[in-house]
Amino acid sequence: MSIFSFFRSAPRPSAVQAKERLQIVMAHERAGRTGPDYLPMLQQELLAVIAKYIDIDQNKVEVKLDRGGDCSTLELNIELPAREQLKSAMAAVKKPDLKPSASADQDDEDDKLAANGPLTNGGVKKRH
Amino acid sequence: MSKIIVMTSGKGGVGKTTSSAAFATGLALRGFKTVVIDFDVGLRNLDLVMGCERRVVFDFINVINGEAKLSQALIKDKRIDNLYILPTSQTRDKDALTPAGVERVLNDLSKEFDYILCDSPAGIERGALMSLYFADHAIIVTNPEVSSVRDSDRILGVLASRSRRAEQGLEPVTQQLLLTRYDPERVERGEMLKVDDVLEILAIPLLGVIPESQAVLRASNVGMPVILDEASNAGQAYTDAVGRFLGDEIEHRFVSPQKKGLFSRLLRRSA
Ligand SMILES: Nc1ncnc2c1ncn2[C@@H]1O[C@H](COP(=O)(O)OP(=O)(O)OP(=O)(O)O)[C@@H](O)[C@H]1O
Ligand SMILES: [Mg+2]
Repeated sequence: MSIFSFFRSAPRPSAVQAKERLQIVMAHERAGRTGPDYLPMLQQELLAVIAKYIDIDQNKVEVKLDRGGDCSTLELNIELPAREQLKSAMAAVKKPDLKPSASADQDDEDDKLAANGPLTNGGVKKRH
Repeated sequence: MSKIIVMTSGKGGVGKTTSSAAFATGLALRGFKTVVIDFDVGLRNLDLVMGCERRVVFDFINVINGEAKLSQALIKDKRIDNLYILPTSQTRDKDALTPAGVERVLNDLSKEFDYILCDSPAGIERGALMSLYFADHAIIVTNPEVSSVRDSDRILGVLASRSRRAEQGLEPVTQQLLLTRYDPERVERGEMLKVDDVLEILAIPLLGVIPESQAVLRASNVGMPVILDEASNAGQAYTDAVGRFLGDEIEHRFVSPQKKGLFSRLLRRSA
C-alpha cells in the first residue's frame, strides 16, 4: 500500500484506473504479437523438453526475441526451483539414458542455483 | 482510382454499422460515387440502418456465387445520388465469403466507384478478416471503454500482419481512430476514458469523436443515416469526420461538456 493513499481525499477516478490497466495489459499483448508465428510453438516445445528433466514453474519462464540488423537473438530465461526442490525433482526423473547435458557442469551451476534467480540463458543465434 | 475503406473494431456493438452508413452517405454527399458493403453475413443490418431493407432482392453472397449480377444486387439510395448499398445474406454463414469471390466483386466495384466502404462484423474471424483484407484505409471504431480499446489494438495488429498490403509488403493500410459514444460529461466526472487517453494508448491519428447521442437511435428507427440529421451533434460530428478523411482541417467539436444555461438545463429531458 502506498503512503500516498493516506493523503488521498477522494478515491481515484475509475477512468484513471481504466487507463492504467489498459497500458499494462496491452504492453504485454503487443510484445507477444511482434514475434514470428512459430515463437509460441517453439516456446512450448522447448519448455516441454526442459520440463522432462526439471520441474519448472510455467509462470517463471520468459522468452524474448530481439531482432537486430543482421543477427537476432532468442533469449530463454527460466527461473529454476530452489536447490532442495530441484534435487528431489531431479531424482524423480527416470531417464538415465538421456542425461541432461547441464549435469556435466553441475557444480558450477549449483552455486547459481542457490541464488534461485533466473539462470538459464540459452542464447540461440540465428542469422538471416 | 478506387479506394477501399474498412470500418472495423474487433468488439461488437460499438457503432461500425452506424458509422458505415453515416460515412458512406457523407462521402456521397461530397460528390464521390460510393458503395457500402455489409460483410456481416447472417446478421444483415446495414439495410435497416440505410432504410432499404424492403428493396433487397439479391445480395453480396449471390454475386460471389454467381447467382446474380452485381448490378442486380446493388441498391441505389433513394435520397442521395452516387450512393449504393450492397446488402449481405441473412441466411448463409461467413464461409460464403471466399477470398477469390470477395476479390472479384471488389475488383468489379472498383471500376465504377470512388469509394468502397466495407462494414465489418465483430470479431476477428473470417467475415472481419475478409472485410479488412483488401483495405487501403481502416477506420477503427472504438468506444471509450476498456474492452473496446483493447480489441481495437488487436485489430490494429491484424491489419499490420494479415491484410493484403501487409502480406504483399505494400504501403501499410492507413489507420484512423473514430471514437464513438463519447460522453464529455462522464469524462469530466472521471468515469470515462478521455480522448487523449485512448489516443495515447492506441497511438493512431484521430479522425473524429462522435458523441453519445439520442439522435442515433432516432435515425436508425426510421432508416436514415444519422449524418442526414444535420441538427444533431452526432450528425455534425460525422460530417466533420468525413471532411477530415478527405483532408479538410476541422477542429474537433463535442469533446467537452456543452455549457448549459438554466433554460437548456430545464429542457434537458427533451434533448
Ligand atoms: N453515437 C452513438 N450514440 C448513441 N448510440 C449509439 C451511437 N453509436 C451507436 N449507437 C447504438 O449502438 C448500437 C450498436 O451500433 P451498431 O449496430 O452501429 O454497432 P456495430 O459495431 O455495427 O455492431 P455489430 O458489431 O453487432 O455489427 C445501436 O443500437 C446504435 O443505435
Ligand atoms: Mg454492425
